[in-house]
Amino acid sequence: MSFLRRAPLGGILLLSVMAVLMVGPILTVVVWAFAEKWRYPNLLPTVWGLKYWYVMLGRDTVINPIVTSIALTTVATSLAALICWPAAYAFARLRFPGRQVFLFSFVAAQAVPKFALFVSIAVVFLRLDLIGTFWGVVFVQMLSAMLVMIWIPAAAFRGIPPALEEAGFDLGASRLRVFLLITLPQAMPALAASYVLAYVGILFEVDSALLIGAPQITTMPLVLLSSASQVIVQEAAVLCVMIWVPCFAVLLLTRRFMSSKGIAQGFGA
Amino acid sequence: MTIAKPLASGAKAPGAFLEQAAGLALIAAPMALLITLILLPTVAMIWGTLQVPSDSGAQFGLGRYQAFFADAYSMANLRYTLFQTLASCATALTLSLGIALYLRFSEGRIATMIHALSLFPLFVPSVVISYALVRFLGPNGLLQLLLEQVGFTHYRTPYLTPVGPYIAFVWENLPLPVLVLGAGLSQVSDHAIEAARDLGAKAPRILVEILLPQVRRSLLIAFALIFLGVIGSFTVPYLLGPPAPEMLGVFMQRTLGNLRRPEEAQVQAVMLMLMASVVSGFYIATMLQSERGRR
Repeated sequence: MSFLRRAPLGGILLLSVMAVLMVGPILTVVVWAFAEKWRYPNLLPTVWGLKYWYVMLGRDTVINPIVTSIALTTVATSLAALICWPAAYAFARLRFPGRQVFLFSFVAAQAVPKFALFVSIAVVFLRLDLIGTFWGVVFVQMLSAMLVMIWIPAAAFRGIPPALEEAGFDLGASRLRVFLLITLPQAMPALAASYVLAYVGILFEVDSALLIGAPQITTMPLVLLSSASQVIVQEAAVLCVMIWVPCFAVLLLTRRFMSSKGIAQGFGA
Repeated sequence: MTIAKPLASGAKAPGAFLEQAAGLALIAAPMALLITLILLPTVAMIWGTLQVPSDSGAQFGLGRYQAFFADAYSMANLRYTLFQTLASCATALTLSLGIALYLRFSEGRIATMIHALSLFPLFVPSVVISYALVRFLGPNGLLQLLLEQVGFTHYRTPYLTPVGPYIAFVWENLPLPVLVLGAGLSQVSDHAIEAARDLGAKAPRILVEILLPQVRRSLLIAFALIFLGVIGSFTVPYLLGPPAPEMLGVFMQRTLGNLRRPEEAQVQAVMLMLMASVVSGFYIATMLQSERGRR
Protein backbone atom coordinates (compact mmCIF):
# COMPACT_ATOMS: atom_id res chain seq x y z
CA MET A 1 0.00 0.00 0.00
CA SER A 2 2.80 2.38 -0.85
CA PHE A 3 0.48 4.85 -2.57
CA LEU A 4 -1.47 5.29 0.64
CA ARG A 5 1.62 6.33 2.51
CA ARG A 6 2.45 8.95 -0.05
CA ALA A 7 -1.06 10.32 -0.31
CA PRO A 8 -1.99 13.26 1.87
CA LEU A 9 -4.26 12.49 4.77
CA GLY A 10 -6.82 15.06 3.62
CA GLY A 11 -7.30 13.27 0.32
CA ILE A 12 -7.89 9.91 1.96
CA LEU A 13 -10.38 11.47 4.36
CA LEU A 14 -12.27 13.19 1.54
CA LEU A 15 -12.27 9.97 -0.47
CA SER A 16 -13.67 7.89 2.41
CA VAL A 17 -16.41 10.37 3.27
CA MET A 18 -17.39 10.64 -0.39
CA ALA A 19 -17.30 6.88 -0.89
CA VAL A 20 -19.77 6.37 1.98
CA LEU A 21 -22.09 9.19 0.92
CA MET A 22 -22.00 8.70 -2.85
CA VAL A 23 -21.96 4.91 -3.09
CA GLY A 24 -23.60 4.06 0.26
CA PRO A 25 -27.20 4.81 -0.77
CA ILE A 26 -26.96 2.85 -4.02
CA LEU A 27 -25.21 -0.01 -2.27
CA THR A 28 -28.09 -0.18 0.22
CA VAL A 29 -30.51 -0.69 -2.65
CA VAL A 30 -28.40 -3.42 -4.24
CA VAL A 31 -28.16 -5.28 -0.93
CA TRP A 32 -31.91 -4.95 -0.37
CA ALA A 33 -32.61 -6.42 -3.81
CA PHE A 34 -30.92 -9.67 -2.78
CA ALA A 35 -32.10 -9.76 0.82
CA GLU A 36 -34.91 -12.08 1.86
CA LYS A 37 -34.67 -11.10 5.49
CA TRP A 38 -32.90 -8.01 6.80
CA ARG A 39 -34.10 -6.88 10.19
CA TYR A 40 -32.79 -4.14 12.41
CA PRO A 41 -30.16 -4.11 13.95
CA ASN A 42 -28.29 -6.53 11.68
CA LEU A 43 -25.69 -4.76 9.57
CA LEU A 44 -26.32 -7.22 6.73
CA PRO A 45 -29.28 -9.37 5.66
CA THR A 46 -29.70 -12.61 7.60
CA VAL A 47 -31.20 -14.46 4.63
CA TRP A 48 -30.02 -13.77 1.08
CA GLY A 49 -31.87 -14.88 -2.02
CA LEU A 50 -33.74 -14.11 -5.20
CA LYS A 51 -37.24 -14.59 -3.79
CA TYR A 52 -38.40 -11.05 -4.56
CA TRP A 53 -37.03 -11.21 -8.11
CA TYR A 54 -39.46 -14.05 -8.80
CA VAL A 55 -42.22 -12.13 -7.06
CA MET A 56 -41.66 -9.00 -9.16
CA LEU A 57 -41.09 -10.80 -12.46
CA GLY A 58 -44.26 -12.80 -11.98
CA ARG A 59 -46.46 -9.76 -11.56
CA ASP A 60 -48.40 -8.20 -14.43
CA THR A 61 -48.50 -4.84 -12.64
CA VAL A 62 -44.72 -4.78 -12.89
CA ILE A 63 -44.09 -6.38 -16.28
CA ASN A 64 -46.72 -4.36 -18.18
CA PRO A 65 -45.35 -0.97 -17.10
CA ILE A 66 -41.84 -2.09 -18.03
CA VAL A 67 -43.07 -3.05 -21.50
CA THR A 68 -44.97 0.25 -21.77
CA SER A 69 -41.89 2.19 -20.67
CA ILE A 70 -39.64 0.50 -23.19
CA ALA A 71 -42.13 1.05 -26.01
CA LEU A 72 -42.68 4.72 -25.09
CA THR A 73 -39.00 5.42 -24.64
CA THR A 74 -37.96 3.69 -27.85
CA VAL A 75 -40.54 5.55 -29.93
CA ALA A 76 -39.88 8.93 -28.30
CA THR A 77 -36.08 8.66 -28.48
CA SER A 78 -36.11 7.43 -32.08
CA LEU A 79 -38.49 10.16 -33.22
CA ALA A 80 -36.39 12.75 -31.41
CA ALA A 81 -33.28 11.41 -33.14
CA LEU A 82 -35.03 11.56 -36.49
CA ILE A 83 -35.76 15.27 -36.15
CA CYS A 84 -32.84 16.39 -33.98
CA TRP A 85 -29.84 14.80 -35.67
CA PRO A 86 -30.46 16.52 -39.03
CA ALA A 87 -30.98 19.77 -37.15
CA ALA A 88 -27.69 19.23 -35.35
CA TYR A 89 -26.00 18.78 -38.71
CA ALA A 90 -27.58 21.98 -40.00
CA PHE A 91 -26.49 23.94 -36.94
CA ALA A 92 -22.94 22.67 -37.24
CA ARG A 93 -22.39 22.77 -40.98
CA LEU A 94 -24.86 24.98 -42.83
CA ARG A 95 -25.17 28.73 -42.97
CA PHE A 96 -28.73 30.01 -42.88
CA PRO A 97 -30.54 33.08 -41.61
CA GLY A 98 -31.33 33.12 -37.90
CA ARG A 99 -28.98 30.22 -37.14
CA GLN A 100 -27.67 31.67 -33.87
CA VAL A 101 -31.13 32.66 -32.69
CA PHE A 102 -32.58 29.21 -33.39
CA LEU A 103 -29.64 27.41 -31.80
CA PHE A 104 -29.94 29.64 -28.83
CA SER A 105 -33.66 29.04 -28.40
CA PHE A 106 -32.94 25.36 -27.78
CA VAL A 107 -30.57 26.21 -24.98
CA ALA A 108 -32.93 28.83 -23.58
CA ALA A 109 -35.77 26.30 -23.65
CA GLN A 110 -34.12 24.35 -20.89
CA ALA A 111 -34.22 27.37 -18.60
CA VAL A 112 -37.99 26.83 -18.31
CA PRO A 113 -38.79 24.73 -15.22
CA LYS A 114 -39.97 21.44 -16.65
CA PHE A 115 -42.64 20.57 -14.14
CA ALA A 116 -44.39 23.93 -14.54
CA LEU A 117 -44.16 23.53 -18.31
CA PHE A 118 -45.74 20.06 -18.11
CA VAL A 119 -48.62 21.51 -16.11
CA SER A 120 -49.29 23.96 -18.93
CA ILE A 121 -49.06 21.18 -21.52
CA ALA A 122 -51.32 18.95 -19.43
CA VAL A 123 -54.05 21.58 -19.44
CA VAL A 124 -53.80 21.94 -23.24
CA PHE A 125 -53.75 18.15 -23.71
CA LEU A 126 -56.77 17.84 -21.45
CA ARG A 127 -58.73 19.86 -23.99
CA LEU A 128 -57.28 17.90 -26.93
CA ASP A 129 -58.00 14.52 -25.30
CA LEU A 130 -54.33 13.64 -25.36
CA ILE A 131 -54.09 13.05 -21.61
CA GLY A 132 -53.52 9.40 -20.80
CA THR A 133 -52.61 8.53 -24.37
CA PHE A 134 -49.44 6.92 -25.71
CA TRP A 135 -48.77 9.71 -28.20
CA GLY A 136 -49.42 12.45 -25.71
CA VAL A 137 -46.64 11.08 -23.52
CA VAL A 138 -44.35 10.51 -26.52
CA PHE A 139 -44.61 14.15 -27.64
CA VAL A 140 -43.74 15.48 -24.22
CA GLN A 141 -40.91 13.01 -23.72
CA MET A 142 -39.38 14.09 -27.03
CA LEU A 143 -38.94 17.52 -25.47
CA SER A 144 -36.69 16.07 -22.78
CA ALA A 145 -34.45 14.50 -25.39
CA MET A 146 -34.03 17.53 -27.60
CA LEU A 147 -31.16 19.36 -25.96
CA VAL A 148 -28.92 16.34 -25.60
CA MET A 149 -29.79 15.15 -29.12
CA ILE A 150 -28.91 18.47 -30.71
CA TRP A 151 -26.00 19.57 -28.60
CA ILE A 152 -23.79 16.47 -28.54
CA PRO A 153 -24.16 15.63 -32.27
CA ALA A 154 -23.70 19.29 -33.27
CA ALA A 155 -20.41 19.41 -31.36
CA ALA A 156 -19.37 16.17 -33.08
CA PHE A 157 -20.25 17.39 -36.59
CA ARG A 158 -18.37 20.59 -35.84
CA GLY A 159 -15.34 18.64 -34.68
CA ILE A 160 -14.91 16.81 -38.01
CA PRO A 161 -12.16 18.62 -39.93
CA PRO A 162 -13.75 20.25 -43.01
CA ALA A 163 -10.60 19.28 -44.93
CA LEU A 164 -11.75 15.64 -44.84
CA GLU A 165 -15.03 16.54 -46.50
CA GLU A 166 -13.38 18.93 -48.95
CA ALA A 167 -11.04 16.14 -50.02
CA GLY A 168 -14.13 14.12 -50.88
CA PHE A 169 -15.60 16.96 -52.92
CA ASP A 170 -12.30 17.42 -54.75
CA LEU A 171 -12.40 13.77 -55.79
CA GLY A 172 -15.78 14.43 -57.34
CA ALA A 173 -18.07 12.90 -54.74
CA SER A 174 -21.56 14.34 -54.35
CA ARG A 175 -22.58 16.03 -51.14
CA LEU A 176 -24.73 13.06 -50.14
CA ARG A 177 -21.91 10.61 -50.82
CA VAL A 178 -19.48 12.68 -48.77
CA PHE A 179 -22.00 12.81 -45.96
CA LEU A 180 -22.66 9.06 -45.98
CA LEU A 181 -19.07 7.92 -46.42
CA ILE A 182 -17.11 10.53 -44.48
CA THR A 183 -19.21 12.68 -42.16
CA LEU A 184 -21.65 10.12 -40.80
CA PRO A 185 -19.13 7.42 -39.79
CA GLN A 186 -17.06 10.06 -37.99
CA ALA A 187 -20.05 11.33 -36.06
CA MET A 188 -21.48 7.89 -35.30
CA PRO A 189 -20.09 7.44 -31.76
CA ALA A 190 -21.45 10.83 -30.70
CA LEU A 191 -24.84 10.09 -32.26
CA ALA A 192 -24.97 6.76 -30.41
CA ALA A 193 -23.98 8.45 -27.15
CA SER A 194 -26.69 11.09 -27.52
CA TYR A 195 -29.22 8.32 -28.18
CA VAL A 196 -28.23 6.39 -25.06
CA LEU A 197 -28.21 9.48 -22.85
CA ALA A 198 -31.62 10.58 -24.07
CA TYR A 199 -32.97 7.03 -23.80
CA VAL A 200 -32.02 6.51 -20.17
CA GLY A 201 -33.18 10.03 -19.30
CA ILE A 202 -36.63 9.34 -20.74
CA LEU A 203 -36.84 5.80 -19.36
CA PHE A 204 -36.60 7.11 -15.81
CA GLU A 205 -38.59 10.30 -16.26
CA VAL A 206 -41.35 10.61 -13.71
CA ASP A 207 -42.76 14.06 -14.43
CA SER A 208 -44.22 13.61 -17.92
CA ALA A 209 -45.60 10.14 -17.20
CA LEU A 210 -47.30 11.43 -14.07
CA LEU A 211 -48.81 14.61 -15.48
CA ILE A 212 -49.58 13.50 -19.04
CA GLY A 213 -49.81 9.70 -18.92
CA ALA A 214 -51.48 8.83 -15.63
CA PRO A 215 -53.70 7.06 -14.87
CA GLN A 216 -54.17 5.21 -18.19
CA ILE A 217 -50.46 4.97 -19.00
CA THR A 218 -48.43 3.46 -16.18
CA THR A 219 -44.69 3.53 -16.70
CA MET A 220 -41.88 1.80 -14.84
CA PRO A 221 -40.72 4.93 -12.92
CA LEU A 222 -44.30 5.42 -11.69
CA VAL A 223 -44.30 1.87 -10.30
CA LEU A 224 -40.98 2.67 -8.66
CA LEU A 225 -42.41 5.89 -7.25
CA SER A 226 -45.40 4.17 -5.72
CA SER A 227 -43.48 1.17 -4.38
CA ALA A 228 -40.70 3.32 -2.91
CA SER A 229 -42.64 3.93 0.27
CA GLN A 230 -44.16 0.43 0.50
CA VAL A 231 -43.73 -1.80 3.50
CA ILE A 232 -42.00 -4.49 1.46
CA VAL A 233 -38.72 -2.76 0.77
CA GLN A 234 -37.42 -5.36 -1.65
CA GLU A 235 -39.93 -4.64 -4.42
CA ALA A 236 -38.61 -1.21 -5.33
CA ALA A 237 -35.06 -2.42 -4.73
CA VAL A 238 -35.43 -5.25 -7.23
CA LEU A 239 -36.96 -2.89 -9.78
CA CYS A 240 -34.11 -0.41 -9.34
CA VAL A 241 -31.40 -3.02 -9.73
CA MET A 242 -33.14 -4.76 -12.61
CA ILE A 243 -33.60 -1.62 -14.72
CA TRP A 244 -30.92 0.79 -13.57
CA VAL A 245 -27.85 -1.45 -13.43
CA PRO A 246 -27.96 -2.34 -17.17
CA CYS A 247 -28.56 1.35 -17.96
CA PHE A 248 -25.61 2.35 -15.82
CA ALA A 249 -23.37 -0.10 -17.65
CA VAL A 250 -24.37 1.33 -21.03
CA LEU A 251 -24.12 4.91 -19.77
CA LEU A 252 -20.53 4.31 -18.72
CA LEU A 253 -19.73 3.79 -22.40
CA THR A 254 -20.86 7.34 -23.12
CA ARG A 255 -18.75 9.04 -20.50
CA ARG A 256 -16.20 10.11 -23.10
CA PHE A 257 -18.86 12.51 -24.39
CA MET A 258 -19.51 13.89 -20.96
CA SER A 259 -16.07 15.43 -20.72
CA SER A 260 -15.57 18.52 -18.61
CA LYS A 261 -15.04 20.70 -21.63
CA GLY A 262 -18.00 19.39 -23.55
CA ILE A 263 -20.41 19.77 -20.65
CA ALA A 264 -19.07 23.15 -19.64
CA GLN A 265 -19.46 24.45 -23.18
CA GLY A 266 -22.81 22.82 -23.65
CA PHE A 267 -24.16 24.83 -20.77
CA GLY A 268 -22.42 27.98 -21.93
CA ALA A 269 -19.76 28.18 -19.25
CA MET B 1 -12.76 26.02 -30.83
CA THR B 2 -14.42 27.80 -33.70
CA ILE B 3 -18.13 27.95 -34.09
CA ALA B 4 -19.45 26.13 -37.18
CA LYS B 5 -17.43 26.43 -40.30
CA PRO B 6 -19.82 26.44 -43.21
CA LEU B 7 -18.63 24.42 -46.15
CA ALA B 8 -20.07 26.58 -48.82
CA SER B 9 -17.04 28.13 -50.46
CA GLY B 10 -15.97 25.23 -52.75
CA ALA B 11 -17.07 25.14 -56.37
CA LYS B 12 -18.83 21.78 -55.89
CA ALA B 13 -20.81 22.96 -52.87
CA PRO B 14 -24.40 23.93 -53.65
CA GLY B 15 -25.34 27.57 -53.90
CA ALA B 16 -25.94 29.75 -50.91
CA PHE B 17 -29.68 29.81 -51.45
CA LEU B 18 -29.93 26.03 -51.51
CA GLU B 19 -27.85 25.83 -48.35
CA GLN B 20 -30.06 28.33 -46.56
CA ALA B 21 -33.19 26.50 -47.59
CA ALA B 22 -31.73 23.15 -46.53
CA GLY B 23 -30.65 24.55 -43.17
CA LEU B 24 -34.07 25.97 -42.40
CA ALA B 25 -35.79 22.79 -43.57
CA LEU B 26 -33.62 20.61 -41.34
CA ILE B 27 -34.32 22.59 -38.18
CA ALA B 28 -38.03 23.09 -38.95
CA ALA B 29 -39.31 19.99 -37.12
CA PRO B 30 -37.56 20.50 -33.76
CA MET B 31 -38.40 24.21 -33.91
CA ALA B 32 -42.06 23.33 -34.47
CA LEU B 33 -41.96 21.04 -31.43
CA LEU B 34 -40.38 23.81 -29.40
CA ILE B 35 -43.07 26.28 -30.40
CA THR B 36 -46.06 23.96 -30.00
CA LEU B 37 -44.97 22.33 -26.75
CA ILE B 38 -43.12 25.13 -24.94
CA LEU B 39 -43.99 28.54 -26.29
CA LEU B 40 -47.70 28.14 -27.02
CA PRO B 41 -48.73 26.25 -23.84
CA THR B 42 -46.78 28.70 -21.68
CA VAL B 43 -48.31 31.76 -23.33
CA ALA B 44 -51.76 30.17 -23.21
CA MET B 45 -51.30 29.33 -19.54
CA ILE B 46 -50.19 32.82 -18.55
CA TRP B 47 -53.06 34.33 -20.54
CA GLY B 48 -55.51 31.92 -18.92
CA THR B 49 -54.45 32.77 -15.40
CA LEU B 50 -55.13 36.45 -16.10
CA GLN B 51 -58.77 35.79 -16.91
CA VAL B 52 -61.25 36.14 -14.09
CA PRO B 53 -64.79 34.80 -14.49
CA SER B 54 -67.49 37.41 -14.15
CA ASP B 55 -71.17 37.89 -15.07
CA SER B 56 -70.31 39.03 -18.59
CA GLY B 57 -67.94 36.15 -19.39
CA ALA B 58 -64.22 36.08 -18.62
CA GLN B 59 -62.55 39.34 -17.79
CA PHE B 60 -58.95 40.42 -17.57
CA GLY B 61 -57.79 40.64 -13.97
CA LEU B 62 -55.38 39.55 -11.27
CA GLY B 63 -58.00 37.81 -9.13
CA ARG B 64 -56.42 34.37 -9.31
CA TYR B 65 -53.08 35.69 -8.17
CA GLN B 66 -54.72 37.62 -5.36
CA ALA B 67 -56.28 34.36 -4.23
CA PHE B 68 -52.86 32.67 -4.31
CA PHE B 69 -51.22 35.43 -2.28
CA ALA B 70 -54.08 35.48 0.20
CA ASP B 71 -53.79 31.76 0.86
CA ALA B 72 -51.41 31.13 3.77
CA TYR B 73 -50.67 27.54 2.75
CA SER B 74 -49.73 28.50 -0.82
CA MET B 75 -47.45 31.22 0.48
CA ALA B 76 -45.82 28.83 2.96
CA ASN B 77 -45.12 26.43 0.07
CA LEU B 78 -43.69 29.25 -2.01
CA ARG B 79 -41.34 30.36 0.77
CA TYR B 80 -40.32 26.80 1.53
CA THR B 81 -39.57 26.10 -2.16
CA LEU B 82 -37.39 29.19 -2.45
CA PHE B 83 -35.57 28.52 0.81
CA GLN B 84 -34.97 24.84 0.02
CA THR B 85 -33.67 25.74 -3.44
CA LEU B 86 -31.29 28.44 -2.24
CA ALA B 87 -29.96 26.31 0.61
CA SER B 88 -29.35 23.34 -1.72
CA CYS B 89 -27.66 25.56 -4.32
CA ALA B 90 -25.36 27.18 -1.78
CA THR B 91 -24.31 23.86 -0.27
CA ALA B 92 -23.84 22.06 -3.59
CA LEU B 93 -21.75 24.94 -4.94
CA THR B 94 -19.59 25.21 -1.81
CA LEU B 95 -18.91 21.47 -1.65
CA SER B 96 -18.21 21.16 -5.35
CA LEU B 97 -15.92 24.19 -5.28
CA GLY B 98 -13.98 22.45 -2.52
CA ILE B 99 -13.78 19.23 -4.54
CA ALA B 100 -12.81 21.11 -7.72
CA LEU B 101 -10.08 22.99 -5.87
CA TYR B 102 -8.77 19.77 -4.36
CA LEU B 103 -8.69 18.17 -7.81
CA ARG B 104 -6.98 21.21 -9.34
CA PHE B 105 -4.01 20.85 -7.00
CA SER B 106 -3.75 17.08 -6.64
CA GLU B 107 -2.99 14.20 -8.88
CA GLY B 108 -2.64 10.47 -8.54
CA ARG B 109 -4.95 7.63 -7.78
CA ILE B 110 -6.84 9.24 -4.91
CA ALA B 111 -7.66 12.32 -6.96
CA THR B 112 -8.85 10.16 -9.85
CA MET B 113 -11.14 8.22 -7.53
CA ILE B 114 -12.53 11.40 -5.98
CA HIS B 115 -13.17 12.77 -9.48
CA ALA B 116 -14.99 9.60 -10.51
CA LEU B 117 -17.10 9.57 -7.33
CA SER B 118 -18.10 13.20 -7.76
CA LEU B 119 -19.37 12.43 -11.28
CA PHE B 120 -21.28 9.30 -10.24
CA PRO B 121 -24.65 11.11 -9.72
CA LEU B 122 -24.69 11.98 -13.45
CA PHE B 123 -25.56 8.35 -14.05
CA VAL B 124 -28.22 7.99 -11.36
CA PRO B 125 -31.81 9.05 -12.14
CA SER B 126 -33.71 11.13 -9.55
CA VAL B 127 -36.20 8.43 -8.76
CA VAL B 128 -33.43 5.89 -8.07
CA ILE B 129 -31.41 8.12 -5.75
CA SER B 130 -34.53 9.31 -3.94
CA TYR B 131 -35.54 5.75 -3.18
CA ALA B 132 -31.94 4.85 -2.30
CA LEU B 133 -31.76 7.73 0.17
CA VAL B 134 -35.01 6.63 1.80
CA ARG B 135 -33.32 3.31 2.50
CA PHE B 136 -29.97 4.83 3.40
CA LEU B 137 -31.04 7.75 5.60
CA GLY B 138 -34.42 6.48 6.70
CA PRO B 139 -35.28 4.97 10.07
CA ASN B 140 -33.19 1.81 10.63
CA GLY B 141 -31.42 2.54 7.36
CA LEU B 142 -27.84 1.66 6.53
CA LEU B 143 -26.42 4.96 7.80
CA GLN B 144 -28.02 4.44 11.19
CA LEU B 145 -26.70 0.87 11.29
CA LEU B 146 -23.19 2.03 10.42
CA LEU B 147 -23.27 4.80 13.04
CA GLU B 148 -24.46 2.36 15.69
CA GLN B 149 -21.55 0.09 14.85
CA VAL B 150 -19.19 2.85 15.93
CA GLY B 151 -21.22 3.55 19.05
CA PHE B 152 -23.33 6.54 17.96
CA THR B 153 -26.89 5.80 18.98
CA HIS B 154 -28.60 9.20 18.73
CA TYR B 155 -29.29 9.13 14.99
CA ARG B 156 -32.40 11.07 14.02
CA THR B 157 -33.48 10.49 10.47
CA PRO B 158 -33.84 13.45 8.10
CA TYR B 159 -36.39 11.41 6.12
CA LEU B 160 -39.71 13.31 5.81
CA THR B 161 -38.13 16.52 7.09
CA PRO B 162 -36.86 19.39 4.91
CA VAL B 163 -33.33 18.03 5.42
CA GLY B 164 -34.18 14.87 3.43
CA PRO B 165 -34.73 16.58 0.05
CA TYR B 166 -31.88 18.98 0.87
CA ILE B 167 -29.42 16.07 1.08
CA ALA B 168 -30.78 14.55 -2.13
CA PHE B 169 -30.53 17.87 -4.01
CA VAL B 170 -26.93 18.37 -2.93
CA TRP B 171 -26.14 14.76 -3.86
CA GLU B 172 -27.68 15.08 -7.33
CA ASN B 173 -26.10 18.43 -8.08
CA LEU B 174 -22.45 17.80 -7.28
CA PRO B 175 -21.22 16.64 -10.71
CA LEU B 176 -22.22 19.60 -12.84
CA PRO B 177 -20.43 22.30 -10.83
CA VAL B 178 -17.43 20.01 -10.31
CA LEU B 179 -17.16 19.68 -14.10
CA VAL B 180 -17.86 23.32 -14.89
CA LEU B 181 -15.62 24.69 -12.12
CA GLY B 182 -12.93 22.15 -12.96
CA ALA B 183 -12.86 23.43 -16.54
CA GLY B 184 -12.57 27.00 -15.25
CA LEU B 185 -9.88 26.26 -12.67
CA SER B 186 -7.75 24.36 -15.17
CA GLN B 187 -7.34 27.60 -17.09
CA VAL B 188 -5.53 29.27 -14.19
CA SER B 189 -1.83 28.79 -14.84
CA ASP B 190 0.45 27.37 -12.17
CA HIS B 191 2.77 30.30 -12.84
CA ALA B 192 0.20 32.84 -11.71
CA ILE B 193 -0.34 30.94 -8.47
CA GLU B 194 3.39 30.46 -7.84
CA ALA B 195 4.05 34.13 -8.54
CA ALA B 196 1.42 35.12 -6.00
CA ARG B 197 2.87 32.68 -3.50
CA ASP B 198 6.36 34.09 -4.03
CA LEU B 199 4.99 37.53 -3.24
CA GLY B 200 3.78 36.16 0.07
CA ALA B 201 0.09 35.60 -0.66
CA LYS B 202 -1.58 33.00 1.59
CA ALA B 203 -3.99 30.35 0.33
CA PRO B 204 -7.23 32.25 1.13
CA ARG B 205 -5.95 35.32 -0.67
CA ILE B 206 -4.92 33.28 -3.73
CA LEU B 207 -8.39 31.73 -3.71
CA VAL B 208 -10.24 35.04 -3.54
CA GLU B 209 -8.02 37.13 -5.80
CA ILE B 210 -6.73 34.71 -8.41
CA LEU B 211 -8.84 31.56 -8.57
CA LEU B 212 -12.38 32.78 -7.91
CA PRO B 213 -12.33 35.60 -10.50
CA GLN B 214 -11.38 33.00 -13.11
CA VAL B 215 -14.37 30.81 -12.33
CA ARG B 216 -16.87 33.58 -11.65
CA ARG B 217 -18.85 32.91 -14.80
CA SER B 218 -18.71 29.13 -14.30
CA LEU B 219 -20.00 29.59 -10.76
CA LEU B 220 -22.89 31.75 -11.93
CA ILE B 221 -23.89 29.28 -14.63
CA ALA B 222 -23.61 26.33 -12.26
CA PHE B 223 -25.78 28.23 -9.77
CA ALA B 224 -28.41 28.94 -12.41
CA LEU B 225 -28.54 25.33 -13.60
CA ILE B 226 -28.86 23.90 -10.10
CA PHE B 227 -31.43 26.51 -9.11
CA LEU B 228 -33.61 25.79 -12.16
CA GLY B 229 -33.36 22.05 -11.63
CA VAL B 230 -34.18 22.12 -7.92
CA ILE B 231 -36.95 24.71 -7.90
CA GLY B 232 -39.05 22.72 -10.35
CA SER B 233 -38.38 19.26 -8.99
CA PHE B 234 -41.02 16.76 -8.03
CA THR B 235 -39.62 13.30 -7.34
CA VAL B 236 -37.11 14.24 -4.64
CA PRO B 237 -39.46 16.24 -2.39
CA TYR B 238 -42.31 13.81 -3.09
CA LEU B 239 -40.37 10.82 -1.79
CA LEU B 240 -38.17 12.43 0.86
CA GLY B 241 -39.84 15.64 1.94
CA PRO B 242 -42.30 16.49 4.71
CA PRO B 243 -46.04 16.29 3.97
CA ALA B 244 -46.28 20.02 4.67
CA PRO B 245 -45.09 22.49 3.58
CA GLU B 246 -44.75 21.12 0.07
CA MET B 247 -42.40 22.19 -2.66
CA LEU B 248 -44.27 23.72 -5.59
CA GLY B 249 -43.73 20.66 -7.81
CA VAL B 250 -45.52 18.38 -5.34
CA PHE B 251 -48.12 21.07 -4.62
CA MET B 252 -48.94 21.47 -8.34
CA GLN B 253 -49.15 17.74 -8.92
CA ARG B 254 -51.58 17.35 -6.02
CA THR B 255 -53.64 20.34 -7.12
CA LEU B 256 -53.87 19.11 -10.70
CA GLY B 257 -53.91 15.33 -10.29
CA ASN B 258 -55.68 14.71 -6.99
CA LEU B 259 -57.78 17.81 -6.44
CA ARG B 260 -58.52 18.31 -10.15
CA ARG B 261 -58.20 22.09 -9.99
CA PRO B 262 -56.30 22.97 -13.16
CA GLU B 263 -56.92 26.73 -12.74
CA GLU B 264 -55.12 26.79 -9.40
CA ALA B 265 -52.33 24.51 -10.63
CA GLN B 266 -51.76 26.94 -13.50
CA VAL B 267 -51.37 29.88 -11.13
CA GLN B 268 -48.86 27.84 -9.10
CA ALA B 269 -47.00 26.95 -12.28
CA VAL B 270 -46.82 30.59 -13.36
CA MET B 271 -45.54 31.57 -9.90
CA LEU B 272 -42.85 28.91 -10.24
CA MET B 273 -41.94 30.18 -13.71
CA LEU B 274 -41.79 33.75 -12.42
CA MET B 275 -39.35 32.81 -9.67
CA ALA B 276 -37.29 30.79 -12.12
CA SER B 277 -37.37 33.52 -14.75
CA VAL B 278 -35.22 35.82 -12.63
CA VAL B 279 -32.49 33.20 -12.65
CA SER B 280 -33.06 31.95 -16.19
CA GLY B 281 -33.01 35.49 -17.59
CA PHE B 282 -29.68 35.98 -16.01
CA TYR B 283 -28.49 32.54 -17.18
CA ILE B 284 -29.43 33.40 -20.75
CA ALA B 285 -27.68 36.77 -20.51
CA THR B 286 -24.50 35.10 -19.23
CA MET B 287 -24.65 32.53 -22.02
CA LEU B 288 -25.06 35.23 -24.66
CA GLN B 289 -22.08 37.02 -23.20
CA SER B 290 -19.80 33.99 -23.32
CA GLU B 291 -21.08 33.15 -26.81
CA ARG B 292 -20.03 36.63 -27.91
CA GLY B 293 -16.71 36.33 -26.10
CA ARG B 294 -15.94 33.12 -27.96
CA ARG B 295 -16.53 34.63 -31.37
